[in-house]
Amino acid sequence: MNTHIRGHAEDAWSTVDLDHLTIAGAAHLFRRAGFGASLHELNAAIKLPLTDVVDGLLTTNTGTEFEQQSQIMKTVIQAGNLPVHLPAWWLYRFIQSPCQAWEKLVLFWHGHFATSAAKVNSALMMLAQNEIIRRSAYGPFESLVLEISRDPAMLIYLDSATNRRNNPNENYARELLELFCVGLGNYSEIDIRELARAFTGWEIQSGRFAFNQFQHDPTLKQLLGNANIESGEQAVAWIVQQPAAAKFIAQKLYRFYVSDQTPEPEVIQSFAAILRENEFEIRPVLKTIFTSRIFYSNTAYGQKIRSPVELAIGLLRCLDATASPVHLASSLSGLGQSVFYPPSVKGWDGGKRWINSATMIGRINLITEILNHKETRFVVEKNRLDKRFDIDDAESAVRHVETVWLSQPLDDEQRSKLTDIVEKSTPRRESRLLCAFKCAATLAESQLG
Amino acid sequence: MSLNRRGFLAGTATAAVVASTASVPQIWASASQRAAFSAADRILVVIQLSGGNDGLNTVIPFGDDAYHRNRFATRIDKKSVVKIDDYIGWHPSLRGFSEMQQSGNLCIVNGVGYPNPNRSHFESMDIWHSALLAPPHRTGWVGRWFDEQAGGKTPNPVPGLHIGDEPLPLAMSGLNIMVPSLKSIESLRLASDDAVGSTIDAIGQAPETKQDLVDFLRQSRNTALAASRRLEAVAGANEIPKGYPRTELARKLAFVAKLIAIDFGPRVYYVTLGSFDTHSQQSEAHAALLSELGGAVAAFHKDLAAQRQADQVLSVCFSEFGRRVKENGSAGTDHGTAAPLFIAGQSLPTSLGRYPSLTELVDGDLVFNVDFRSVYATLLDQWLGIDSQTILGVKHETLRLI
Repeated sequence: MNTHIRGHAEDAWSTVDLDHLTIAGAAHLFRRAGFGASLHELNAAIKLPLTDVVDGLLTTNTGTEFEQQSQIMKTVIQAGNLPVHLPAWWLYRFIQSPCQAWEKLVLFWHGHFATSAAKVNSALMMLAQNEIIRRSAYGPFESLVLEISRDPAMLIYLDSATNRRNNPNENYARELLELFCVGLGNYSEIDIRELARAFTGWEIQSGRFAFNQFQHDPTLKQLLGNANIESGEQAVAWIVQQPAAAKFIAQKLYRFYVSDQTPEPEVIQSFAAILRENEFEIRPVLKTIFTSRIFYSNTAYGQKIRSPVELAIGLLRCLDATASPVHLASSLSGLGQSVFYPPSVKGWDGGKRWINSATMIGRINLITEILNHKETRFVVEKNRLDKRFDIDDAESAVRHVETVWLSQPLDDEQRSKLTDIVEKSTPRRESRLLCAFKCAATLAESQLG
Repeated sequence: MSLNRRGFLAGTATAAVVASTASVPQIWASASQRAAFSAADRILVVIQLSGGNDGLNTVIPFGDDAYHRNRFATRIDKKSVVKIDDYIGWHPSLRGFSEMQQSGNLCIVNGVGYPNPNRSHFESMDIWHSALLAPPHRTGWVGRWFDEQAGGKTPNPVPGLHIGDEPLPLAMSGLNIMVPSLKSIESLRLASDDAVGSTIDAIGQAPETKQDLVDFLRQSRNTALAASRRLEAVAGANEIPKGYPRTELARKLAFVAKLIAIDFGPRVYYVTLGSFDTHSQQSEAHAALLSELGGAVAAFHKDLAAQRQADQVLSVCFSEFGRRVKENGSAGTDHGTAAPLFIAGQSLPTSLGRYPSLTELVDGDLVFNVDFRSVYATLLDQWLGIDSQTILGVKHETLRLI
């Protein structure tokens, strides 16, 4: 543990030699697999065997009470069909869902098959797409690609609904190859034109997918070296089988879950092999990540810049708090991440691209804003937070922030300066924890997850 | 800047305008004004048209039968085109550009592209930003200049500024220097909280951990806090001033004009407009975007003239590619290749480069006549006064712009 994994690609994905997690390991796992956890959750996790913790994270049983609440919000949005209310609904799920890893994975696929409500302009269709992704998130990649290819929101977003026999529209075909399946350099312009023909006649009728045989070009297409492709279904099956597809998805999963830094090619190669061995089933692959040596090494610890959603939801989760999703949605949009409104079909670039001067200031402000907001609710009354988390003095407040929030410990000088400021700014003992969070938020390290 | 250099620049300006169509008094006015600013004071404003602007419907070859053969639903009919000559004319939304062009304030560079065109938005954008035809695209062409001058004796603390809520463009990214990026002035204001303020004062963070992400974040944080302090001086910068249309691009450019007026410091400003990715139902969306573009750029340069800084600023508008000659079946156009690029400023030629042929196509696409790196070389050598070879790696042919 805590070493860099270099050059041992096989080793990278072998199971970490660890029966139980440390507190730091548990905080890391909960941050990456989900959005973060409070000290109480972390303490519970370190008592269980690692595989049990991971299995527990990867479940999809959200419970009826939560789903009922979510459904009420959803029904209201569907009734008005106003897309602007969508982000708040999903943020509610991020904050409240008992299945954090599932929500996180749906967010991953949303960024992958990026579709923006700004163009689709229908809350109903965007919600239906979210449901498709949710249902197939852990499943085989091929069915996800196929469902997305027939999804009305996507058909509108990438103009596939008007992809007609005599005059094909290449937009969807291009992005399917470039951004959804195999990546740049693994197809030609001819493949794009052929694939666009395979998808001709995939239309929307009365808000649903419909195959229009009169607009479909039935002649054979030559796609990625296979001259026997006729239908869009065959095309998708063939594309997903390409070795480049496994590598492409492996890379994206690695960046989302393990590190912003590009690994050695062998690490991706061997991860791609794991994807293929599992026939592109995502759940076992995630389990491999969350129990791997590389995941619990310095190659992964603190090697990701938090997305705005991770920053805000992470703060709430580690304080066992909730906030107004409507208010959060607008703040997060200013930081560059409005769910249901990705900036382009490439989704969010992530990593260093999250950061610029305005978002840096905005991130510092956001923490203060959330903690001061009157609609933010903590698990206990604000003035009892110190008791809930065993905070005795300014130093223990700062140390608590380090444990649950920061992905690497502070150095002694930073810790003592922070402690000093917390001590001086808050004579009242019960406000020290929140003060420590606000002050720590100004440090660059707060942006790492 | 030495007197010799200044004299030289004034001389070239005169030579250029003699060849242009501007009227005589204006020639002298602008030539003498230009001499007042040395290359070291000159500013470049990059306006990115994201998504792939349909060049054929921007500068429209209405006199070519091939245009009418390939465009039905997306065609701009002959009567509405704002004629430049008997062959080409402006999209009706670009009257602002037409007027600027007639007074020598706008130059069309025709058929700009690069060899082996890439039709991916992201890859082609990276190619334009990095000025490298193949990956890795690590730094931007302007960013490399920032890096270069950061090593000099009196480095400019804020050599560039990006205004918008998208990530900092690659073009502005260097290895050693980070330029600010902001949506509006409000976005750089720190919430007032005493403890937060004291922490910022007490813990200045030096980028020295040798951990890539930590150092990057510390540098970003310091840049942000420094810019936040400097911008406190610019009041009311968020309102759109009189004379500008009420559009987002106009708001951004009005803010740029204000920053230029107070000599805020950046030599390069970067703004974006889009999306121009008009795969379906193109006509209305495209007209609205061009109208936003033309209106904002014209107002911006008028504002600069009123500030007596018209000669100090050049704006350049580019897109990652044009669109295919033949429209698709969705009343839109798919990704293409070469397209016109626009340069706004003082005493410019009306156009440069040949209009691409609509019949001699490769894979249904236009063939470029001017390499975009030649445009960069021209801007670097002739406008910003920087040796383009050090920035671009090789010597590219320059255009007779100035």
